Amino acid sequence: MRLELNHICQRYGEEDLFAIDKLQLISTDAVHLHGPNGVGKSTLMKIMAGLQKPTSGQVRHIPMAGENVLQQAVIYLHQNTYLFDMDVRSNVEYGLRIRREKNSKKVDQALVWAGLDHLQYRKAHLLSGGERQRLALARALVLDPALILLDEPTSNLDAGSVVRIEEMLQDLHRRGTGFLLSCHQDNALTKLCNQNWLLASGKLTVEF
Amino acid sequence: MNDLWTTFSTATAHLLSGDPELWGIVGVSFSVSASALLIALLPALSAGFMLAYFRFPGRWIAISVLNSLLAVPTVVVGLVLYMLLSRAGPLGDLNLLFTRPAMIIGQILLCFPLLVAMSLSAFQAADHRVLETAKTLGANPWQAFITLLFEVRFALLAAVVTAFGRIIAEVGSAMMVGGNILHHTRNITTAIALETGKGEFVQGVALGIVLLVMALILNVSLGWMQSHSRVLRHGT
Repeated sequence: MRLELNHICQRYGEEDLFAIDKLQLISTDAVHLHGPNGVGKSTLMKIMAGLQKPTSGQVRHIPMAGENVLQQAVIYLHQNTYLFDMDVRSNVEYGLRIRREKNSKKVDQALVWAGLDHLQYRKAHLLSGGERQRLALARALVLDPALILLDEPTSNLDAGSVVRIEEMLQDLHRRGTGFLLSCHQDNALTKLCNQNWLLASGKLTVEF
Repeated sequence: MNDLWTTFSTATAHLLSGDPELWGIVGVSFSVSASALLIALLPALSAGFMLAYFRFPGRWIAISVLNSLLAVPTVVVGLVLYMLLSRAGPLGDLNLLFTRPAMIIGQILLCFPLLVAMSLSAFQAADHRVLETAKTLGANPWQAFITLLFEVRFALLAAVVTAFGRIIAEVGSAMMVGGNILHHTRNITTAIALETGKGEFVQGVALGIVLLVMALILNVSLGWMQSHSRVLRHGT
């Protein structure tokens, strides 16, 4: 899947937050988006995920040959993951239930993948920071997304949890899911990226 | 003191005897209030959601009117409805005055603003990430709305319990538009008013016990829901 942004402009009141003429992201990309606070990194990611409409411009999801609609999902993960008031397993099942797809084997595999199988019947709000982030990734994994957009995924995580998330992200990328992550500092996750995008002064600069 | 105790024990025995007239009155109360609540619920929740999530001209006026309606006495609602439904009124041809549907309409008017106001504050207090998370995981707007309802269910249940408590205990509107007709529109509160007026305290006390027990059950449930809602908010 190719995600294309054309002539995107985001304005708050009279002020332009950013203007991006053309941008594209494909499932093989691994992008580190960085820039100072308040430049609109989260807003840009939400626009890419279709959660927010830009003031002007167009976002297009263009399928690759042989891809079906379900393989075009672009999933945005909040800086502080929101987990539904359900147990861990039901959180993983959420997206599949929405698609009316029953696949308990897939859910089992995702729980093992995230190292949460032993916690599957625990209330999700009782999980630690690292476990919450892993659950968010497992919840995305079952949907076989084309792209995952992670907003500050390592904030509030200890070093061990960062390593675990890095391994999971690497594995997701091997399975064909592209990702874009916003991080202030360079860390194990940003080292996985093959592109750097800098959002500053209302402009986006792509660095390879 | 002795008289009070005798009245109370006779009333309790009267209740436990299963007297069909008395339980018929209880039945009228519950069926009218439950119907009003069921009819008002979905439109009220939708209105609360729209006021919480959409910005449109007149929104603040709508919220102010809504909050003002919370304070309107039940007897005023009854009076307005009476004027509308009486033979000379604009809705007189419907022949609804002194019927259960008229009582249901009165109670809808009483619980609707309360349900909207409480659901509005429940939706406003909800985490903004609920809808975004649901949408990013593939939910359409309706599925995202259902997910949001699930996430704020305890606050919404509290709204339902509070609204039910308000309408089942109201007397003004039920008396004015119901007419207090035995086996038809006589409910707990209008029966208590009538029996007390006649100096017949036993049936009034028996019905009062039903209301008090129900109030206790509703308040215990409300307390449980509110504490559960708080635990969840702090936990997530």
